[in-house]
Order: sequence, then structure tokens, then C-alpha cells
Amino acid sequence: MNRGGTQFWIGAILFLVATFAMTQIIGNQYPFFACYVILQFIVLAVAWNILGGYAGYVNFGTSAFFGVGVYTAVFLFKAAGAPLAVQIAAAAVVGALMGFALGLLTLRMQGIFFSIATIALTIVIETSITNWRYVGGAAGIQMQQPVAMEPFNSYVQMLFFIQALLVVLAVATSRYIQNSWIGRGLQALKDDELAAECTGVPTLRLKLLACVISGALMCAAGAPAAMYLQYADPSSAFNLNYSVSVLAMSLIGGTAHWAGPVIGAILLGTTQQLLTVTISSEVNVLVLGVMLVLFVVGAPEGIIGLIGKARRNRNEGEG
Amino acid sequence: MKRRTFLGGTIAVTTLGLTSSAGAQQPPIKIGMSMALTGGLAGGGKASLLGTEIWRDDINARGGLLGRKVELVVYDDKSSASETPAIYSKLLDVDKVDLLFGPYATVPTAPIMPLVKQRGMVLIGNFAFQVNSKVGHDMWFNVAPWGPPDSWAASFLELGQKAGGKTIALLAADQEFAQNMALTARDVAKRMNMPIVFDQSYPPNTVEFSGIMRALNAAKPDVVYVASYPPDSAGILRAVNEIGVSGNVKIFGGGMVGLQFGAVMENLGSLLNGVVNYNSWLPEPTMYFDGTKAFFETYAKRAVEAKVDPLGYYLAPFGFASGQLIEQAVKAAGSLDQKAIAKYLRENVHNTIVGPIAFSADGERKETATLQAQFRGIVDKNMEQFRSSGKQVILFPAKWKSGELITPFEAARN
Repeated sequence: MNRGGTQFWIGAILFLVATFAMTQIIGNQYPFFACYVILQFIVLAVAWNILGGYAGYVNFGTSAFFGVGVYTAVFLFKAAGAPLAVQIAAAAVVGALMGFALGLLTLRMQGIFFSIATIALTIVIETSITNWRYVGGAAGIQMQQPVAMEPFNSYVQMLFFIQALLVVLAVATSRYIQNSWIGRGLQALKDDELAAECTGVPTLRLKLLACVISGALMCAAGAPAAMYLQYADPSSAFNLNYSVSVLAMSLIGGTAHWAGPVIGAILLGTTQQLLTVTISSEVNVLVLGVMLVLFVVGAPEGIIGLIGKARRNRNEGEG
Repeated sequence: MKRRTFLGGTIAVTTLGLTSSAGAQQPPIKIGMSMALTGGLAGGGKASLLGTEIWRDDINARGGLLGRKVELVVYDDKSSASETPAIYSKLLDVDKVDLLFGPYATVPTAPIMPLVKQRGMVLIGNFAFQVNSKVGHDMWFNVAPWGPPDSWAASFLELGQKAGGKTIALLAADQEFAQNMALTARDVAKRMNMPIVFDQSYPPNTVEFSGIMRALNAAKPDVVYVASYPPDSAGILRAVNEIGVSGNVKIFGGGMVGLQFGAVMENLGSLLNGVVNYNSWLPEPTMYFDGTKAFFETYAKRAVEAKVDPLGYYLAPFGFASGQLIEQAVKAAGSLDQKAIAKYLRENVHNTIVGPIAFSADGERKETATLQAQFRGIVDKNMEQFRSSGKQVILFPAKWKSGELITPFEAARN
């Protein structure tokens, strides 16, 4: 393992230790409720970036994957009282299958047409769930959290830690893809799919792989949300807000590097949480909108792009 | 690195919040709530909040509660279920509020029920529908007039049956509230031996209803029960206006959301005539209780400044009544002890500006106070007409009845 790799894993372990310590030290529940949402957005943004950032296929269907994750968990919980780990694993499998189907779509559709198809995917799935009475249908469904497992005092602390594990899993996967032949292949097909295919890049296989991984992670991130809310209804679970926020997070952070969506999700997620409990009016919607516009105009490559630029300038200054 | 710094920051901010709550000797009583101030429910949410704020100002002018000022801590839940758990956790764990009011409507309320139950807090519900049936929180008290779940459909269908109706058509939006309405209507219809000859759900955001109305007419129902949301309520009434309904139809409406809000009513104008629909409060002579008139005088003034529904009949007086419930219970308990407050609320009848309120064991009203009223003599583009009595004649409940049903629907439309 090279130096960067060692540093990354030390960072990841420290992060997990810190989150675990939080669950043991802090009695106040609010930080867990708020941070859970931010962690959830990190997983979603990182997962989105695997397809949207590396491969350049802009997916507006984040809410479809998220919602399917939620309802996979709801179904398993209602049908078999399945434990959380099973809910998440099953959601990942369902997400991978959905991702595979989405990957096949890319055979015929590129660019804006692919994006529109992903919006359609959200609507189709939401309508199906709306009409599926077993999982509550349009009326929604209430669930009761089981007792939290040791050593956690409350269920939300447990969910928080599990979401932190998912963050590490998602970031490590994303980082691996970026630094391996998969990432280079995706980069090539993002620049010019035809040229990549001609030079021997297995574009279809790579796209399918990116879709499957991205889909599995998004669904896995959605699964614990059912138990977090203890309630699910189609309009909340498939809210287009997830798609838009995740897209904004990745763009603000920067799509070229795995750390981009992480930074974007932390920044935007934290801002959203803070605004909710401070300004708490129409203004918070405005603030987010203005932030997006500023970043798109001022930093088209996101925060990662800005950092890169600053570094280059410094090096030039020194040289 | 960034993540850890951020987590550290959160811890610091939270501890700061915990330590800074000490203040003057008699700190205010804090009542925490989230409200839909943006998003789909915001129109109603803002009016509801204004009602509660009028109560807060009123009680503070009278010297406060237990000698302490009352302060509202309100956050915007964006009309969404995903925001409320974090908000109520903040209210309880960081703001350390003394009392809780629920958010407006079912979807934002449902996710907080387990949390509130676990913390043993009294929660005054605000127009949520049957959110406590599965959770079973014994300190939940819903200010809404709903009552037993089936009473809503029952009152409407009984009006139809009395008018000579035998068959029913059900038209419901594929959304949470409307589907709950339709579900109970099916049960009630079975119990009343009224066959359902047409049962159709339509996707939310449907705008064109002429096809559905033609199919409904073809089934020749006597009673048409509609459970719809604001945009589709308007669409349905426009389709009725274009195509008409068969002469068989005795009574039309029941559960149409939107026809309670000033802007929607003004917009629809004469299309409303003849429709029998649910409501919570109306300016009929039977509906004035102690303080009702004074409340609406204040509301009418403040609604202009706050730019909310100028009429505010549907939600605002209940926002005020929530405050009255808590005021009476806290005074009777003599403290902020949640158990004592809950006990008082459960065991007594409470006089409010929306009439006397008594709760059954599940925290809903003992008896339904949901009105069924018929629109009469409405003209186009006139908001002020809705302030006078006789425009929405109350047919149910019997104790507040202000007129008789005009039937069939076609006759009442003109």
C-alpha cells in the first residue's frame, strides 16, 4: 500500500472511532439526528459521483434508488421483521439490480436523454409504490423501531454509526474506482465514448459496473431511513429533493475527485441542517439557491477545482 | 480531517446550547413546534401558526402561564416527513422546551410520534389524521375536529341516504389523506348497505377530469364522495361545470381539501354552489363560542400584515384552541408535569373558541365536530362574501345545524 493509501485508511479508522466515541459519550440525541442526515447525503453524493462524475452520465434518479432502498427495508420489516443489516444488504442487492437495468439503458441513451430517462424512472417507481397497498400505498406506513443493539443506548445512535460505516464503504469504493483501471476507463468514456471503445476500453462493461455500484450504494443509504423516520410514504421517500440536493453537493464539491462529493455533502448538508433551525423560513431555500449559482459561476469545477488551482498557483509562485 | 473537525464543532455547539439556557429567575415557558412554512402545506401552516401566535400574545398580555411568559420555538419543516425527527429532537434535547405542539398535517406528524412517546411528552396534534392508532401514545391530544375515524364518511353518507341516495361513487386522489378517507368510506358504505357503483383513484397532479366525470356519470350514482387535494378539487369542479352530473346525484363532495381556503374559494366562485363539503369552523350563528368573535377580529387585522389566508377559518382558530387546551391543563395541574397535564386533558371537557372539546382514550375527539356544509349563493371573484353567514350552511353535526340540504345536486348548483 502506498503512502496515500495508508493515510486514507488511518483517516477512515479515526473517523469510525470518532463516530463510535460520539455514540458512547454524547447523551444528547439531536447531534445524531442531524449528523445522520448529513452522513446519508455523503453516501448518496459519493455514490452519485461514481456514475455522474467519473463516467459523465448525469443521473436524476437518486430519489428512485433512495426510495427503493426505503421500501425494500419497509417490505422486509413488515413481512419478516428482518433486522437492519438484512434490510441494508437486501436494499444493496435490489439497488445493484436496478443499477444493472439502468446501465442497459445507457446502451441507447446518452447525455440529456439518459438524464430524462432517470427522472422517468423515479416517477414510474413512485407510482408503483403508491399503488402497492401492502407497504402502505399512498397513505404511508408507520413502523416502530426495535430496541437498539448493544452497545448503543438508542436506535438513532446505532443508525448514525451504521451510516458512518456506509460512508467509509462508499468513499473507499469510490476512491478505489478512481485510482484503478475502472476509473481510467470511465474517464476515457466520459471524454469520448466512441474513441474509448475504439481503443479497446470495454465501455459497456464499465458503465454497467459503475451503474451497479452506484445503485447498490444509493439503495443501501436509503434502507436505514425507513427506521430513522419510523414512517414511509411515497411522496417523502421519492422526493425529487434528494436528486437535486445530491447533484448540487457533487457539483459544489467537485466531480473529478472522490473527495469532491464528500466536501460538497458536508458543506451543503450542514448548511441545510443549520438553516432549518436558525433562519427557518423561505430564506433558507434562497440561501441554497444562491450558493449553487455562486459555485457554478465562480467555481465550475467545485471546491476540489479551487483547491487544485490554488495549489498550482502556489507551485508556480515557488518555481 | 474535515469530517472530524465538523463533528467536533457540532459537539461544541450542542454543549454551548445546553449551558446557555440558564437566565433570569423566571425563565419563559417554551413551547416547541415545527410548522410548514415552506412547501406544499405552507399556506395552511402559516395561518395555523398565526392562530397560535395570537394565543401567545393574548396569554402574555394576561400575565402569562403560571406567572411566566410564554415563548414559541418554531422551525420550518418544509412540509416534509424527513425534517421533523431532527427538529423535534432539537426542541427536546437542545432547546429544552417545556411543552410540545405538533406540526400541521399527517405526514410531518407521523415520524415524530414514537420519539414523543418515548420521551413521555404531551403532544397537542394539529390536524393529523389517525397518526396515533398504531403508536398508541397516551399523551396525544388532537385539536382537529375529526373524532372517530369513520365518522367523517359516515356523516356525509348519512346525509346522502336521508336525501334518498342508495348507491355511491368514490373518487379519491392517490395521496395519504384522500386514501384514508376512501378507505373508511368503503367500510361505512358496506355497513349502511349502500353499494359502491364507481370506485376510482387518480394519480396526484391530475388536472383533466372530464374523462373521469363521464365514467362516473355512466355509473349513475346517487351519492358522490370525493376525497381530493387543492389542485384536483378545482379540476373536478371545473369538469362538473363543463359536463354536468346526472340528475340522480343527490349530494356531491365530502372530503375535498382546498375548499376551506380563502384564495381557492375566491378563485372557484360560483362553481362551488351546491357542493357539500367538510370543514372545521364556519361563520354561521351556531359556531360562535366564548372568544370566537374577538379572535377573528384580531386575526383579520394580523392576517393582512402576515400575508396569510384572510379568512383563516379552517386552521387558525384551532391554532388558538391548542393554546387554550394547554393553558387550561397547565393551570389545573399547577405545574408543567406532563402526566398531570395529560390526565387533566383526558378527563375534562375544555371550552375553546371552536367549542367544547373532550378526548377519547386514543387522543382523538370523543365526538366528531367535523362539519358538513353546503355552499349556497356564491358569486364569482368575491372574498368578502365568505365572511357572512348563509354562504356555507351547516348540515352536520345536528347541534350546530344552520339549514337544510338542498337536493338534488343539479338543483342546488343554480
